[in-house]
Amino acid sequence: MAATEHPVAVEKPRSNPALTRDPVSTGALVLSAALALPGLLPAASAEPAPAGGMIGLRNLSYRESQPGLERVGSNSPSLVFLVPLAGEWALSGDLVTDNVSGASPRYHTAISGASQMKDRRNAADLQLKRYLEDGSVSVGLARSNENDYASTALSLQGTVDSKDRNTTLLWGLGGASDTINPVNLAVRNEQRHSIDAMLGVAQVLTPADLVQFSLGYNRGRGYFSDPYKIFDNRPRRLNQTALSAKWNHHFDAADGTSRFSYRYATNSDGVRSHTLGEEYVQAFGEGWSVTPALRYYSQSAARFYVDPIYDPLFGAPFPAGVAIFQHPLLTMDQRLSAFGALTLEAKLARQLSAQWSADLKLARYEQRSAWRWFGRGSPGLAPLTAHWLEIGLYRRW
Amino acid sequence: MKPVVRHGEANDAPFRFGFTVMGGPGEITLAATDSRSGLRLAELAVAEIRRIESKFSRYRPDSVVSQINARAGADWTDCDAETESLFAYADALYTASGGLFDISSGVLRRAWDFRAQRIPSQQALTALRALIGWQRMERRAGQVRLALAGMEIDFGGFGKEYAADRAGALLLEQGARHGLVNLGGDIRVLGPKPDGSPWSLGIRDPRDPAAVIAEIEIASGALATSGDYERYFEADGRRYCHILDPRSGMPVEHWRSVSVVAALAVVAGSHATIAMLKQEAGQAYLDDCGCAYLAYDKDGRCLRQSGAKVTATVPPCAFPSA
Amino acid sequence: MRPLALSIVIAACLAGCASIEPVAPWQKGQLAKPEMGFADDVAGAAYAEHVYSSREAVSGGTRVGGGGCGCN
Repeated sequence: MAATEHPVAVEKPRSNPALTRDPVSTGALVLSAALALPGLLPAASAEPAPAGGMIGLRNLSYRESQPGLERVGSNSPSLVFLVPLAGEWALSGDLVTDNVSGASPRYHTAISGASQMKDRRNAADLQLKRYLEDGSVSVGLARSNENDYASTALSLQGTVDSKDRNTTLLWGLGGASDTINPVNLAVRNEQRHSIDAMLGVAQVLTPADLVQFSLGYNRGRGYFSDPYKIFDNRPRRLNQTALSAKWNHHFDAADGTSRFSYRYATNSDGVRSHTLGEEYVQAFGEGWSVTPALRYYSQSAARFYVDPIYDPLFGAPFPAGVAIFQHPLLTMDQRLSAFGALTLEAKLARQLSAQWSADLKLARYEQRSAWRWFGRGSPGLAPLTAHWLEIGLYRRW
Repeated sequence: MKPVVRHGEANDAPFRFGFTVMGGPGEITLAATDSRSGLRLAELAVAEIRRIESKFSRYRPDSVVSQINARAGADWTDCDAETESLFAYADALYTASGGLFDISSGVLRRAWDFRAQRIPSQQALTALRALIGWQRMERRAGQVRLALAGMEIDFGGFGKEYAADRAGALLLEQGARHGLVNLGGDIRVLGPKPDGSPWSLGIRDPRDPAAVIAEIEIASGALATSGDYERYFEADGRRYCHILDPRSGMPVEHWRSVSVVAALAVVAGSHATIAMLKQEAGQAYLDDCGCAYLAYDKDGRCLRQSGAKVTATVPPCAFPSA
Repeated sequence: MRPLALSIVIAACLAGCASIEPVAPWQKGQLAKPEMGFADDVAGAAYAEHVYSSREAVSGGTRVGGGGCGCN
């Protein structure tokens, strides 16, 4: 045990030893005394309720293709808004309409089974948030309607901030109920119910580093098959666990921000996935900013995914060696195959005036079985390429 | 989600609100706000500054400082927690400065008349020095007393900085994130400009009130300057300024001005004043205080600690500690 | 098992938080920038999430209560 203890850091006198100086650093002494003065630091409030509102119009144009086939194209205009209410509340929402047209493959990537489709989806996502002294609580309602699919989801989320505002605990609980009524009448009024839970922590590491870790769990029961795909029969339970880490770092000299993320996710279909993301936000003068981004995704195949090896006698789409009449678990959905995917993205944003801002984002996404990270990708699949363009215009008040 | 977020939304010209306080100019600058909420915030901040001024000003007979001074050598004066904490801070400054920063040294003003430009006699200074002594201030829970009749204290040494910090904290509590509170050159920065860039704050040329001698960029924290130019007179080629050494009763001479960047305006101002009082030893003190600084000595030589982002200095500045 | 390994890494990082030098309010100028927030550009993230959820087997995991879709 030390005989004496100093309440503040002890520094050896530097510089001129001829000067008699208190052994306790004067800087530390003055600072600690100043911090004892009342009211010099804000009674740290958590994330403050927004002072003003925002309304924005966005549009997403999406095109997807595979060699020799222009597949799905969609156009999704949306309205986003944030309205502060009574000082401590905020209502935010996102209303979107999808107009989908084009072909969706029936199995694997064989072109023969593709047929033209047209669909419209209307979705609304509303969130009411209450700002508290040490955090926030919000409730959310999401509705989505298509001619063959309806979904309703509820959520309750919260944040709890530490006294020094350097640590935030995040939690969330949600539930969703979906009804499936495919136009081909493959099934009628099929249901899917899921609950999810999330727990996370965000931590300020340094004046320029912020990290967040979260763990998410989703438990689903019901109809998960694709009614439009032949021989598609998936388990009636789907549980998913995801671990994610995010790290934001600000480069003061360049006034740029790096945003790194990694997610590991696995589900009860036997799919394991890794997602790595990095984007870099570079601010320029006069309200301009440019954000290039890169995302890499890799997954293993579902354990009941079958490769496109067709029955030698019947040919496509009949898989080889599978007794299809016994309803085994089976899918030929390319989404459940093993592959890797790369997204290249660039965003340009501009603060036009105190009230107006706009942004534009271009992205190119490509899926290839050969790009899988660990192990081999599923054979015999054509690469899938998608492009999308997002534009947004916002007004604040 | 993240712990502390308030987004700047605009990069238009900031809202500025000027006023007069504590015998000098004050200005509150707020960016990313419209003029209506800017005005509301500025009025809140100015009300807080005026509250501090009226509570602690030695010029107001009803202030707690005037009451304590009026009862010197006699009765105890009740004081609240805020006043006690200011005395605790004064005590820390006394220790940190080796007795040079003494809030009871204001009695020397009775001998130094800067308007009449008169150098006092040694006799007069000796008599007044007997009335200086922070250790003669008696403190007990909720009460204080000056031991000797004729003693006086004042918070002139850090009152403006304290007010700037309090006003800054109040604005931060109200959600302001981009702006600054400037009370006669003692500046508390709330946060950077809305685009994240730092504010560029000019340092006055100690020999030319109209000129800026350097610019310091800060995005958060505070900047304060102490100099020999606020009240002074010259006689026989010597400059007699208002910063007085309590041991000799004579004005300090080594520095023209000292500017310090620190987390709080009180810290910046206290270090700047202590460095002025320490004279030749001020440089070692500044190097040790853990803050960035920019100082001009009596010959106009410039010294700086490399932590400060200083631009456009005249003349070019040396890095003593590099 | 890989998730277990990751859990250990996360636990170690969280334990590390205890020894982090606390960042003071006046040092948070950089952290207050919009792009330093994890919730930056929520609407844009929702778009991307929608695209990825329709083309990849596993999605989400960092939000709760997202509406499903029949996007096949």
